Amino acid sequence: MSLNNWQPVIGLEVHVQLATKTKLFSSSPVAFGAEPNTQASEIDLGLPGVLPVLNKEAISHALKFGCAINAEISEKVIFARKNYFYPDLPKGYQISQLDDPIVGKGSVEIKVGEKSKIIGVTRAHLEEDAGKSIHDLYSNNSAIDLNRAGTCLLEIVSEPDLSSAEEAVEYLKKIHSIVTFLGISDGDMSQGSMRCDANVSVKRPGDQKLGTRTELKNINSFKFVEKAIIFEIDRQIKKLEKGEEIFQETRLYDSKKNLTRSMRSKEEANDYRYFPEPDLIPIKISKDQIADVRKSLPELPEIMKERFMNSYDLSDDNAELVTINKETASFFEDVLSYEVSPKNVVNWITGDLFALLNKHDTNISESKVTPKHIAEIIQNIEDQKISGPSAKKLLEMIWSEGGEVQDLIRKEGLEQISNDDEIEKILDEVISENQKQFEQLKSGKDRLQGFFVGQVMKKTAGSASPQVVNKLLKDKLSK
Amino acid sequence: MSELINLSLTDQILGLANKSFSSKEITEAYLNEIKKKKTLNCFISVFEEESKEKALLADENIAKNKVRPLEGIPIAHKDIFCIKDKKTTCGSKMLSNFISPYSSEVFSKLNNAGTITLGKTNMDEFAMGSSNETSFYGNVLNPINEKLSPGGSSGGSAAAVRANLCSFATATDTGGSIRQPASFCGVTGIKPTYGRVSRWGMIAFASSLDQAGIIAKNAKDAAIALKYMSGFDQKDSTSLNEEVKDLQKEVDADQEHIIGIPKEIIENIKNDHVRDSFRNAISILEEDGAKIVEINLPHIEYSLPAYYVIAPAECSANLARYDGIRFGHRSDSASSLEDLYVNSRTEGFGKEVKNRIFIGTFCLSAGYYDAFYNKALKVRNLIKSDFDEAFKKVSSIAMPTCSNSSFELGSISDPVEMYEQDIYTIPANLAGLPALSIPSGTAEEMPIGLQLIGNYLEEGKILNLANKFQKLTDFHEFK
Amino acid sequence: MKIKEQDLKNISLLSKIKIDEETSNSLIKDLESILTMVNKMDELDTTKINPLTHPIENTQTMREDIEKKDFEREKLQELSKEKDSGFYLTPKVIE
Repeated sequence: MSLNNWQPVIGLEVHVQLATKTKLFSSSPVAFGAEPNTQASEIDLGLPGVLPVLNKEAISHALKFGCAINAEISEKVIFARKNYFYPDLPKGYQISQLDDPIVGKGSVEIKVGEKSKIIGVTRAHLEEDAGKSIHDLYSNNSAIDLNRAGTCLLEIVSEPDLSSAEEAVEYLKKIHSIVTFLGISDGDMSQGSMRCDANVSVKRPGDQKLGTRTELKNINSFKFVEKAIIFEIDRQIKKLEKGEEIFQETRLYDSKKNLTRSMRSKEEANDYRYFPEPDLIPIKISKDQIADVRKSLPELPEIMKERFMNSYDLSDDNAELVTINKETASFFEDVLSYEVSPKNVVNWITGDLFALLNKHDTNISESKVTPKHIAEIIQNIEDQKISGPSAKKLLEMIWSEGGEVQDLIRKEGLEQISNDDEIEKILDEVISENQKQFEQLKSGKDRLQGFFVGQVMKKTAGSASPQVVNKLLKDKLSK
Repeated sequence: MSELINLSLTDQILGLANKSFSSKEITEAYLNEIKKKKTLNCFISVFEEESKEKALLADENIAKNKVRPLEGIPIAHKDIFCIKDKKTTCGSKMLSNFISPYSSEVFSKLNNAGTITLGKTNMDEFAMGSSNETSFYGNVLNPINEKLSPGGSSGGSAAAVRANLCSFATATDTGGSIRQPASFCGVTGIKPTYGRVSRWGMIAFASSLDQAGIIAKNAKDAAIALKYMSGFDQKDSTSLNEEVKDLQKEVDADQEHIIGIPKEIIENIKNDHVRDSFRNAISILEEDGAKIVEINLPHIEYSLPAYYVIAPAECSANLARYDGIRFGHRSDSASSLEDLYVNSRTEGFGKEVKNRIFIGTFCLSAGYYDAFYNKALKVRNLIKSDFDEAFKKVSSIAMPTCSNSSFELGSISDPVEMYEQDIYTIPANLAGLPALSIPSGTAEEMPIGLQLIGNYLEEGKILNLANKFQKLTDFHEFK
Repeated sequence: MKIKEQDLKNISLLSKIKIDEETSNSLIKDLESILTMVNKMDELDTTKINPLTHPIENTQTMREDIEKKDFEREKLQELSKEKDSGFYLTPKVIE
């Protein structure tokens, strides 16, 4: 996409559903996927006479986030009513925060390629989520499910410091990584526990004044964030170059057609008439409380990454891969406790283990292959006791049947033949069975090398050491 | 048996304990009287069968000496307090079919203390009014002169006590809705400190001003009832976590009193009877040993404008939940969502409620928030400071409850003229201070009241002073 | 203080309550009268005063994050006229 001397200006509003057991102002359960309205109490339904009571854990989660991004923390938690009518908003107002967000200005660092950039976070505040309206279940009605109404949200607003779709994705990934590392959210975009709206505008480089921005909604994956923003930047540039105006509006991202379209906004021209929530007394946050939270923070992703790069001599990319979430980092360090080469551990985890986890749609925390298994497999490879392909087989076996590494190697006869003489004998067999190809290889058809190695592997049921085969073959060729 | 209904609460408790009469007798006496005085329209619902059953159970408990503090005492609840599985209408068409699935804390506490609920008393719609003329269920008549108003919004409760239909009734006070009807009906009414009594299950009008209280025959009775109604409630975030003093003991204790007389108010009393009876009341108390001190409440005249911004603003948000979707009146003509909202709300609310929603919406709307709502909150701060200053010198503040006695039903159509009924009662709501009204004379042959305002959590102090006055006078006796 | 037709339209829209032709004149009168009374506050200089939302701020109530499911959907939905399969129903909304 050619920017034609236009500079995109992007800000992201990320709504993170906090990993609490109950809602923000009621003790109703919040587990995903329950039958409609089975998690909506009198308070959640906004019945006459009900009152909100604040969930302590939500404050704790918000404070953790604030400390993690080095933000100013508000002295008092003050809530406000945001007033508008919609069926998924039972009280006719949302309890949110306006002038005194619990988390003030902070920042995060992102990396795009080799470049680092600091992205400002304007604020993060607590608010209750709305329920769900489903418009396509009935022909003449909309269906309202208030299970989600009242769940804890942390709305994180970035400064308009992002200049490309790529940066936006990196920022989103960073936020995701922070909230999951802190354990304050599962950050699952597909289930809606992390939602993202993007504010997009373009301007000429050097212009102080920002262009008119549009708000993009309905983006529920990292991939779609990128696509939606790219489309919108392009759309705006095309319009402006034609001399047309950009309307300040909300646009929905259509992932099937990969475009954004104007939304018949339910909140169009709405005057929210914010005022301080009279049913909740401002909660004081002490400096001691903030200090305690800071002390109790788990190691954050960047710090952990630096430490891995330094202590284990990992490359930036590799360190990034194993610190993708807390569980993976923890698995990685568990494997390392068995004294194996960190580089090998990275390769095995991010290569074969990830592939296996993906195939079975499992989280690393529920992996049937344990750190001990991985460690032992790597040890056996490092000691040249088994080959790479055998190790992969082992991995699959452990996943489906369980068992101990040493036992399985013995049982399945996976012990690698590294004995030069033994392998040479088999290699000679293969050469004699394939004289023509051997001559071709000798005369320069290098790619036949793999054929010979492959044949030896076949004859040894994968248990020959490919390195040794290659070495012996090279010797024979040079004779 | 008709003498039973004339008994005070104190005497009823004694009588039941002494087995001079049974709960059955007194409950039936009240139920008969309620039927006889049906035209007063004090009750929206009467629980005849249930009351009789409960009375029998109470008598069993009394026989076994298993007596709770208010065992077998028949009372009434303002129809603003939810009672599980019973209709709670709030005097409105909007809730005419609302059967609450849960009970208010006020009901639960008094029920657990052993009271028998005779029924729900009539009230101005959604507690908005000063004459009980805005109820969907029709006007309440003043038992002393049926052409006149009983006051509002707790007109039903005040009239019921005056008409000997119960020894006490619960009520609510946002701008004077307990004290003003108490004054008009010649009974005793107390609004405690804001947060003293839980608002859980009390249908909200203006959250930072609403408070539940009692209308009774005299200060001693009011003290007993208030004692069992008060206390911290986890379900109400504005509830005060402060020990409830033994008001029953305090009301009769030997206490010194320093009574503040606000210059700004006393100088401006227009009604001669009101002025004379006030002066008379003060000299009676002075002769009895109270010290009288002139104080200043320099911003008191701004209470009315501040209140008529804050209360409507909060009410406009509190009443946004009434849309017919989950409960309440739902219009039959609703072909679109917009229609559903507009028609249900237009049909369900009366004129006064709509007016207050309009005012509140306007005062919070874009461009007007600072000039109206924020301004009113600042004025509120000034008024509270005036009281804080005064209470450095005095232990209670005295002034008339109203500037006049009751007026003819239908005689006031100008909204501001009606609002001015609350000119002396509103300041205590804005500051959150406890305040009561006791009969102190007559004007135009109808009762007028003396208002006593105490410092925070000093309900006992003003009840004590009120009791002293009632020992020295007979204005509170029904003649 | 004057209330214009446009103000009424805006209030009606925001509060979702109809204001019909007949009542709009008397409503304007009532509202203007109330707002005139309210404008008395302008006599006070409040630039250095903080707004007071809560009369008393002593008690700070918060709740532990413990689940309580003491309600029944069926019982709560008895209060509603239009529902199906656990959902609340409204006229169809087009977004």
